[in-house]
Amino acid sequence: MNLWKMAWRNIWRRKRRTFITCFSVSFGLLYAVLSTGFGDWGYTKLVDDSASMGYGHVTFEPIDYNISPSLDKRISGTNELKDRVRAVDGVAKVIDRIMGQAMFASASKSVGGMFFAIDPAQESKEYNLFLKKMVKGELFSTTDGKGVVVGTKLAEKLGLRMGKKLIYTFTDVDGEIVSEIARVSGMFKTGVDEVDGAMVLLPIDRVRNILGYRPDEATLVAVIIDDQRRAGGMAMKLDSLFGDGMDVLPFTETQKDVTSMIFMDKSMNYLFQIFLGLLVSAGILNTILMAVLERTREFGIMMAIGMSPKKLFQLVLAESFWIGLVGLVMGIVISSPIYYYFSTTGLDLTGSVPDGYSAGNVPFELVMKIKLFPESVVVILGTVFLLTLLAGLYPAYKAGKVPPVESLRVI
Amino acid sequence: MNLDGIIVKLDGVTKTYNEGQLEVTAVNNLSLELKKGEFTVICGPSGSGKTTILNMLGGLDLPSSGKLFLEGREIEKLSRSKLSEMRRDRIGFVFQAYNLMPVLTAYENAEFVLNLQGRSEEEKRVKVMKVLADVGLGGMEDRMPNELSGGQQQRVAIARAIVTEPAIVLADEPTANVDSATADSLLDVMEKLNKEEGVTFLFSTHDQRVMDRARRIIRIKDGKLDSDVRK
Repeated sequence: MNLWKMAWRNIWRRKRRTFITCFSVSFGLLYAVLSTGFGDWGYTKLVDDSASMGYGHVTFEPIDYNISPSLDKRISGTNELKDRVRAVDGVAKVIDRIMGQAMFASASKSVGGMFFAIDPAQESKEYNLFLKKMVKGELFSTTDGKGVVVGTKLAEKLGLRMGKKLIYTFTDVDGEIVSEIARVSGMFKTGVDEVDGAMVLLPIDRVRNILGYRPDEATLVAVIIDDQRRAGGMAMKLDSLFGDGMDVLPFTETQKDVTSMIFMDKSMNYLFQIFLGLLVSAGILNTILMAVLERTREFGIMMAIGMSPKKLFQLVLAESFWIGLVGLVMGIVISSPIYYYFSTTGLDLTGSVPDGYSAGNVPFELVMKIKLFPESVVVILGTVFLLTLLAGLYPAYKAGKVPPVESLRVI
Repeated sequence: MNLDGIIVKLDGVTKTYNEGQLEVTAVNNLSLELKKGEFTVICGPSGSGKTTILNMLGGLDLPSSGKLFLEGREIEKLSRSKLSEMRRDRIGFVFQAYNLMPVLTAYENAEFVLNLQGRSEEEKRVKVMKVLADVGLGGMEDRMPNELSGGQQQRVAIARAIVTEPAIVLADEPTANVDSATADSLLDVMEKLNKEEGVTFLFSTHDQRVMDRARRIIRIKDGKLDSDVRK
């Protein structure tokens, strides 16, 4: 009979109490799975959507463009750069774009806003949120045509309809004010008023001509990667390979609003999980301590017949181990169908937030799903199990500390 | 130290306890020796100090003054871990009640101390089956304590106490919780082990049945030796 077997049998002496304790472990696990899973999925979605709104996960930019953006700052040799970056492991898409400020005018009004000049052949709904959120018409088909796609709020402000004229004006590389007339070929609606009321998609080669850029010049080259968590490392790698004369920045530098919001939310989430974990641990500690104090005489007999305090400590700790393990297994069994449901169907919050929600001008997906990264699974399981073991430390210490003769006096 | 067959020696042992503001002397300057093979009872009224003497001999408690020897080793000088080892290897205990681990079978309870000693499976099996047979429990190895009568449980406790071939078995009121017939059968077992195997027994009791069987009776009164009679 070894300690592990004895510990296993001991925890089932009071089945109901053990089950209740294991359930608290398993519900702690469930909470951690849901909380972390919604977070892992939500943050990834937010970052990916933010990346698809212009800068990508990693951005090649002119030096200091991030500090003071200007249309006279640009990168040259974008075609060659794109080809080289595409060959790097972990890169999903590389797209050159021109972004800047402009004035937009219709027959009745004019407003300031932002433009985003793109090559329709390079773009897709998967990597461009504006295309995904098109609600009317379609994207222009050529890079030098006169079609434009506007946000619905901007269309509303300027009194624009499909096919109507729009004049856009900006300053070229020589500091001259230049204008162009276009027709509305499509409209998008992200749900974020600041974006829908200010953003316009333009054909990239037409913008190049107007600005006086060469065919292989752009204000940025956006890199979309397979896993947004690796953006920092990827930026460093791309910088070392191809970053001469350019800034190569991860989204944490180019999308600080989104990054800050994620950081705050994550921190609060973890704080709450720690707090809940400590509460559950306290409950487990109480239960195991009760089980130890109830067996004071039994432990006294064990020590009297030769069991060392160290072995007694190990026995009680082994009981905590089993409780943690059973709780984890129960937690996995309970969490799995719930995880499956939320990972496939999701939690629909559209009814609760009818006007939509955004973070850092990035629309928030209101059908929230769940997804746990492998390292999150390891951290959750490890932490829950560790907290259970830690909860058993004090009772195990108490078990080994009472002198045998004191224990034997207990009736 | 020249043992001369002496298993246990108390030399001017005193034990005092603090109970609140009061200092209580449980054992008062007691000296005595026990030899191998003795079947001895320590008796006296409640509070006379007999359980305290057994606890000290078992290394569960230490004297306030005086010396205590087990097989020539001075007990009060041993560290906590050495005391544990001594109890594990050289002393068998039989208590009045709550002796057995409720989650272990009769076999596993008897085997318990051999496990602590790290014996091999084969050695454990041979020893445990023998002692269970010796105490009349052959065939009941797989029963749990709640499937055994009070007397059978005490037999398992006796088996556990002797399986390691200890220097001495300390039995504190072993017949207190059983009926007369069971008490007699338990005493038959212990007497047989004493006579045939030479196991040394020291009982703390005021059960006349035990005293009738003892070959030496040590009477304690107010923590002092009142009489020491060999039959």
